[in-house]
Amino acid sequence: MPAKLLVVDDEPRTAQLTAELLRRAGYSVDVASSGTEALELIRSVSPDLMLLDYEMPDMEAPEVLDSLRSGGDRIPFPVIILTGARHSPGDQVVGIERGATDYIVKGTDRQVVLARVRGALRERASAPGAISRGRLHLDAARGEARLGDRVLKLERRPLLMLQLLANRSGEVVTRSEVLDQVWGTSYRGFEHSLEQAVHQIRREMREPDWIETVRGIGYRLVVQP
Amino acid sequence: MHRLRSTLARARAELELARTDGDPLPVDRLLGDLREALDLLGRVEAAAFQIVAVLVLDDDERLAELTARGLRRLGYEAESASRMRALRPREVVVLDLGLSASLDADQLVALRAARPIVVTGAADPASRALADDLGASDYLVKPVELDDLAAAIKRRTST
Repeated sequence: MPAKLLVVDDEPRTAQLTAELLRRAGYSVDVASSGTEALELIRSVSPDLMLLDYEMPDMEAPEVLDSLRSGGDRIPFPVIILTGARHSPGDQVVGIERGATDYIVKGTDRQVVLARVRGALRERASAPGAISRGRLHLDAARGEARLGDRVLKLERRPLLMLQLLANRSGEVVTRSEVLDQVWGTSYRGFEHSLEQAVHQIRREMREPDWIETVRGIGYRLVVQP
Repeated sequence: MHRLRSTLARARAELELARTDGDPLPVDRLLGDLREALDLLGRVEAAAFQIVAVLVLDDDERLAELTARGLRRLGYEAESASRMRALRPREVVVLDLGLSASLDADQLVALRAARPIVVTGAADPASRALADDLGASDYLVKPVELDDLAAAIKRRTST
């Protein structure tokens, strides 16, 4: 099933052109022409990714992000902000603190736009759903992890991290990627939490070889027989 | 500004000529003009809003893009690439040292002139010497915190 994208822009022609570009790349696309309409649409159809115009008459992107986040601590899908005229660095910091995944300046090369959408969706793919890797069974959405018949008692972040490693099983996942995707937006001061999470995962699994440390780079999940 | 106006004027003239002569649209030339115009507009905006352009070079494309994305969220106009490309005026280069082996003589000259921020997996003396040879303005050891990288970019642009 193609990924479902939501394009939000108050200029109808811009919205239609963006939607067309994405449809031709194989995505299924909905269009909203205002922040309010976007919020309504999201309630009925949860998109896999939203492309959000920064400036709209009814609300600006940060307000849309605030409304989306009310209640939960993270927005459940990636949001790419489309900036028309460029905004000062200060504005963009506001955007990210409120949960945007990425920025695209309007008029950016088509290939670059598609690459950024793919990049953001790849992260999305590594979040929800149940997966199995050998004897390891995970369902982060339900907060469940099992190794064989044994239930692993993991806190939310170690579980999300294990899920991320399992999704990319056999591949090295960098520390930055883990911090970015599991701990959210901030990089500072979480290195220690990351190490604690790895420690908790290894302790609960009781088979430390599942998680390999790749020095100076990150971690890799190695399926054990 | 002057070049932006003249590029747009060229595109308009091309369209007007094609229309009066009933010629097919010179699509590729127009696309080229528009690309150039947007690029020039970008430079005008960058100057007006003091936006810093950054190129993140790393042979690991995924890591390069992750870093670039992080920088974009901090307000930088960041692009990633796994190969050296022509640099834009005043563009700050973040270079993974591993990539330096693949550079030709001309690219090395361009890089040295850009005084790159060098990122490396190892803090050994050989890497440091190589970074010095590349005219590095800063030297960071992986894993690099985004804040540290942003600080290095700030140091680089304030000198």
